[in-house]
Amino acid sequence: LEAPCRVLSIQSHVVRGYVGNKSASFPLQVLGFEVDSINSVQFSNHTGYAHWKGQVLTAEELNVLYDGIKLNNVHHYDYVLTGYTRDTSFLETVVDIVQELKRMNPKLVYVCDPVMGDQGSMYVPENILPVYRDKVVAVADILTPNQFEAELLTGRKINTEKDALEVMDLLHQMGPDTVVLTSTDLPSPRGDQFLVALGSQKIDGTKSTQKIRMDMPKVDAVFVGTGDLFAAMLLAWTHLHPNDLKAACEKTISVMHHVIKRTMTYANEMAGQGKRPNPAQLELRMVQSKKDIEDPAIVVERVMDV
Amino acid sequence: MHEMECRVLSIQSHVVRGYVGNKSASFPLQVLGFEVDSINSVQFSNHTGYSHWKGQVLTADELHVLYEGIKLNNVHHYDYVLTGYTRDTSFLEMVVDIIQELKRANPNLVYVCDPVLGDHGSMYVPQNLHPVYKNKVVPVADIITPNQFEVMDLLHKMGPDTVVITSSDLPSRLGDRFLVSLGSQRTSKWRVRMEIPKVDAVFVGTGDLFAAMLLAWTHHYPNDLKTACEKTFSVMHHVIQRTISYAHELAGPGRRPSPPQLELRMVQSKADIEDPAIVMEATVLTL
Repeated sequence: LEAPCRVLSIQSHVVRGYVGNKSASFPLQVLGFEVDSINSVQFSNHTGYAHWKGQVLTAEELNVLYDGIKLNNVHHYDYVLTGYTRDTSFLETVVDIVQELKRMNPKLVYVCDPVMGDQGSMYVPENILPVYRDKVVAVADILTPNQFEAELLTGRKINTEKDALEVMDLLHQMGPDTVVLTSTDLPSPRGDQFLVALGSQKIDGTKSTQKIRMDMPKVDAVFVGTGDLFAAMLLAWTHLHPNDLKAACEKTISVMHHVIKRTMTYANEMAGQGKRPNPAQLELRMVQSKKDIEDPAIVVERVMDV
Repeated sequence: MHEMECRVLSIQSHVVRGYVGNKSASFPLQVLGFEVDSINSVQFSNHTGYSHWKGQVLTADELHVLYEGIKLNNVHHYDYVLTGYTRDTSFLEMVVDIIQELKRANPNLVYVCDPVLGDHGSMYVPQNLHPVYKNKVVPVADIITPNQFEVMDLLHKMGPDTVVITSSDLPSRLGDRFLVSLGSQRTSKWRVRMEIPKVDAVFVGTGDLFAAMLLAWTHHYPNDLKTACEKTFSVMHHVIQRTISYAHELAGPGRRPSPPQLELRMVQSKADIEDPAIVMEATVLTL
């Protein structure tokens, strides 16, 4: 990175583990990005553990923090990154902030993970959907919904790859120039041990798009924080490979592969023979993956043009 | 290859922008392979040296709640705890309780404590934090990193009204032929700094002479640590200069003097002892 690139990341903070800002900051910093982080909550750990405790930031408190940044005239960002949010007024405040930051820097890129649910069910309050659909997506530049979230945002079901490509085009029309469907139920040409992700990026100065398909091995474990890592790494690698979604995604899913593999090995070791690892054991091996984050070895033949 | 497994609990400030507190500690530790669990004691837009700053603080109760979450999951196992700038006594006391419990869970835990009280003569935490540091925090710390004023302050809290750090490795503003000494007197609020010329020899007995002379000169100048120190250090200077000249004369050119040759020229320095010409000025550091 030649010029310092400054990201404003508004996500959760957990004392222990790697979700939200904990998942996004270290990898981005390792790659040389300046990361300003507003913690939308502070919890002891993610909510997949048996217990979790902590405090949430209100929309008002978010405004106060942003105000501090603004009063010092340092509200200049190249990127904004957001993820899991449960509160509509908080999300609306985020939109206001993004709009103001875009007035300060028209080239600002807003990377938005519209976290709402998965596998057909929502895990945030239903009234978040209209805020994403009607306000957030319009100001997003890079969007990383899963299949379910893409269906909710567009009102269209995805049954075939053709449906998915059309949904991504619909999402382009709603705002973002780059859309990545991070996971789908579509069958992979590599077999049922793989899941399919798709990406679409408008090509500068034209009306056409670069479309790609990613085949990713399914893992027999529930990870938390991988979506946050994905969005952060997509930010980094699209920055380093602008106008080449294929290269950016190759790097991004390669990092994911290495981190997940290292984590699985460690988790199984900790759990012991034949036992399923628990959430604490499954925390991403983020710090141990520093070298893979800095310079991911490309896992070949995972990303294809469509 | 088995990676380092070392988990740190860091309880410090978070700033949205910039590098203080947890923002300053976490990334470098993570880059070195440490797992860092971080409890943010505050969330501010930026540090308080900017023109403006805004944000929220964590109460002692909220800290306890977060720790409870960790404990309920039975993951309260740490190799290190790290703390820094704290403004609130009940928060600090809660930190001590947590550390004591973590030490019971892991008796090998190392608590690294920066006892942030102030710098350059000014205190920037409330006075009522000082006894908490002295009585509760420092006793459970394994590594502490006070600056010179915090050292003085901690020593004052242990009893003495006057503390003189007779020599240090602090860099002198006069260059590396000088060493720095510091003095602090609590009731009179004097804080002084002296630049003392280094001497290329090992003397024995100078510390004893110093303590005796400080006794004498603080007796004569009970509320003026500046003058007492100037007199004391000046006597030291005269005695040492006389001694080193004589020692070199006895040893001969190019020879290092021996211990007998380096014995202080005490009796010969009577006039300087009686009425030391001031040869160095103490800089008064304002509170």
